[in-house]
Amino acid sequence: MVGFVIVSHSEKLAEGVTDLTKMMAEDVPIAAAGGLPEGGFGTSFERIFDAVNSVYSDDGVIILMDMGSAVMTAEMVIEAMDGMKVVMADCPLVEGAVTATCDADSGMSLEEIMEDLSEVASQKKF
Amino acid sequence: MVNQDKVLEIMVKIGEKIEEDKLFLTELDNVIGDGDHGINMARGFGDFISKVPDLQGKDIGAILKAAGMSLTMKVGGASGPLYGTAYLQAGKTAGDKTEIGIEDFIQILEAAIEGVKMRGKAVTGEKTMLDAMVPALDAIKEEYDASKDAKKALEAGLAAAKEGVEYTKTIIATKGRASYLGERSIGHQDPGATSFTEMLQVICENV
Amino acid sequence: MKEFTYTIKDEVGLHARPANVVSKEARKYNSKIVVSFNGKTAELRKLMQVMSLGARCGDEIKIVIEGEDEDKAFEELVPFLEENL
Repeated sequence: MVGFVIVSHSEKLAEGVTDLTKMMAEDVPIAAAGGLPEGGFGTSFERIFDAVNSVYSDDGVIILMDMGSAVMTAEMVIEAMDGMKVVMADCPLVEGAVTATCDADSGMSLEEIMEDLSEVASQKKF
Repeated sequence: MVNQDKVLEIMVKIGEKIEEDKLFLTELDNVIGDGDHGINMARGFGDFISKVPDLQGKDIGAILKAAGMSLTMKVGGASGPLYGTAYLQAGKTAGDKTEIGIEDFIQILEAAIEGVKMRGKAVTGEKTMLDAMVPALDAIKEEYDASKDAKKALEAGLAAAKEGVEYTKTIIATKGRASYLGERSIGHQDPGATSFTEMLQVICENV
Repeated sequence: MKEFTYTIKDEVGLHARPANVVSKEARKYNSKIVVSFNGKTAELRKLMQVMSLGARCGDEIKIVIEGEDEDKAFEELVPFLEENL
């Protein structure tokens, strides 16, 4: 099953989004990588790197993140994981995380989930 | 020409300079960014300095890459991946050299700039460190072509970087957190352009 | 093409949890399954689209199934909705 990593500048936000996905897709591997190890807001290469490894399988891992340095740090983690199937998705964090984990729960592949996520940004909420 | 010991010494001095000015850099970032630039950079360089004993006698590529890894791993803000990529690319370009001259330095700086552009998807004129880096590189090349004097070339580069910092005061930020401020970012200098200029100043003073 | 209407009995309507249950079921079929309500349409397999319909308990939704396994989907989906929505 595809695994997920939620990257945020805030440790609480990353954990909150991760918890929320458990409501509908409790068996999907997902790890939070928020904040800095020494506390405070920021994105940590080490936390993201460890989180990806903790949910990794041959089916791959999708990283979802908030803005700014989260994107750049995730990009560097992906470059460091040469040869592993790890990608990042450009989509709203909460909606994307819920959609993607529910998709993974129904057995969809990384490629199918990424295609689904590309539509999430344009989806109106009401 | 500077050898690997000198490069390591300069890198440590850059780290000390950033540590010394961390509150100033953070203050600049407080105004237009998220107020963590100096403290974050000082944490990154602090990690690098702790690795210096293992770097004695290593080639210049290894020294610069170690700095890149420390900044990538420890900084936490946007300057981590940006400076991290810059130093990693610089290290890749320096390779196994144990001595470098101004022509090597030009190539190293070019690679660092390309790294920042790639990572930040940025160009000059967006109120970023590139607004100090790119004019500095151009001035170094121009002065060196004209006078073949490395010291003069570095000084010309430093002057251009300082002008670049002044220039960042006049433009609107379109990249990073500062872009949320729009026109209100005018009048304030970019912290990244400032920290790059400090690095170049240390290099200039020590070769 | 198969088409039917269904009146939602679940107390919370087509919201998060029930929407997920039905979306997940829809992903088992290759057919395109479109649900419409109040002038809006959504692909049943897409959770965010389904949730955005805002259909509540007592609302009547229309479901259109089109594709190679539409007969099977129709036969199974009707009782599935009765059971789960």
